[in-house]
Amino acid sequence: MIAPGIKRGTAELAVLSVLQDAPLHGYELARRIEQQTNGALRFTLAALYPMLYRMEQQRWIRGSWETSANGRRRRCYRLTPEGKKKLAPLRREWAELFRALERLTKVAHA
Amino acid sequence: MPDWKNIVARRLDLLSLPPGEKADVIAEVAAHLEETFCEMRRCGFQEEDAFRRTLGQAGNWKSVQREILFAKSGGPHMGTRLRQLWAPGLLGMALSTAVLFGFLKFGFHPRIVYWNGPKNILVYVPWLLSLPVLGAIAACFSSREGGSRRTVLLASVFPALAFAVAILLMFPIGMVIERIIGIPIDFIQVATVILTEGIGWILVPAVALLVGGLLAQFLFCRRPPSQSTALS
Repeated sequence: MIAPGIKRGTAELAVLSVLQDAPLHGYELARRIEQQTNGALRFTLAALYPMLYRMEQQRWIRGSWETSANGRRRRCYRLTPEGKKKLAPLRREWAELFRALERLTKVAHA
Repeated sequence: MPDWKNIVARRLDLLSLPPGEKADVIAEVAAHLEETFCEMRRCGFQEEDAFRRTLGQAGNWKSVQREILFAKSGGPHMGTRLRQLWAPGLLGMALSTAVLFGFLKFGFHPRIVYWNGPKNILVYVPWLLSLPVLGAIAACFSSREGGSRRTVLLASVFPALAFAVAILLMFPIGMVIERIIGIPIDFIQVATVILTEGIGWILVPAVALLVGGLLAQFLFCRRPPSQSTALS
């Protein structure tokens, strides 16, 4: 189980990464992230939508109302050019952090 | 199928966002819960059980409301309260004070209304006539910042409320001072003064400000919901 503080930090990376593949509405986005992380990252309503609104204000993602095949109206989020630019350095930062932690744990166990 | 929009609207009732933005948030959260509910039904849960579990997943609605408000307003709730109530209210108060002094300076005098009571009531007609406009200005500023109906009306009557607080504080302080310097206090006279001053300087101005606030809300401060714009 991942602690909430670390989850918050990784949430933006998770959302940007998943939206890179396709535009998604909030429910589908949360479900994809949960499935792809084997349930390690789960979003409550109080976490998901405020985060999406913040990311929208930062212009990393853009939401627009669309009608799905079954006639339901959903607000779909897609990655903006700014979001794409943000994703690469975010990935690098987290990769560096994980490598650093890996080195640290290896040294600690040596 | 439960009416998720109605359920969410009731739970996010106090979300103080502009009407269109609030409608969007409610529609979006309702859509999320509807998907969750349908998924649970597909997984074989009975309707009642699925409904209970779906609502349970939402967690604490106060927290949902607060977090959404923080995210949308870009800061803590105090910032929102400042923009929606205090700033428009203080603006209304500053304007009403300036207008009052302006009228006094240009020689418009208060009109004294005689009645059968022990005191006369002072009614400053030119100033009172200006108050609906000032109440409307404060209401529009508050509404533009996303104030709820209650906040908007509170902002419009803010000058009268502030004056009421000032009068209520002034008399006890005055009584304490008089007691210290040894002047005997006539409580009936003090109560009469509070009542008559209260009618002329608080109650009647509050009604005038409220009329302006209500008119502004009906005429100028309504916005079309942004979802409707997106639908077209």
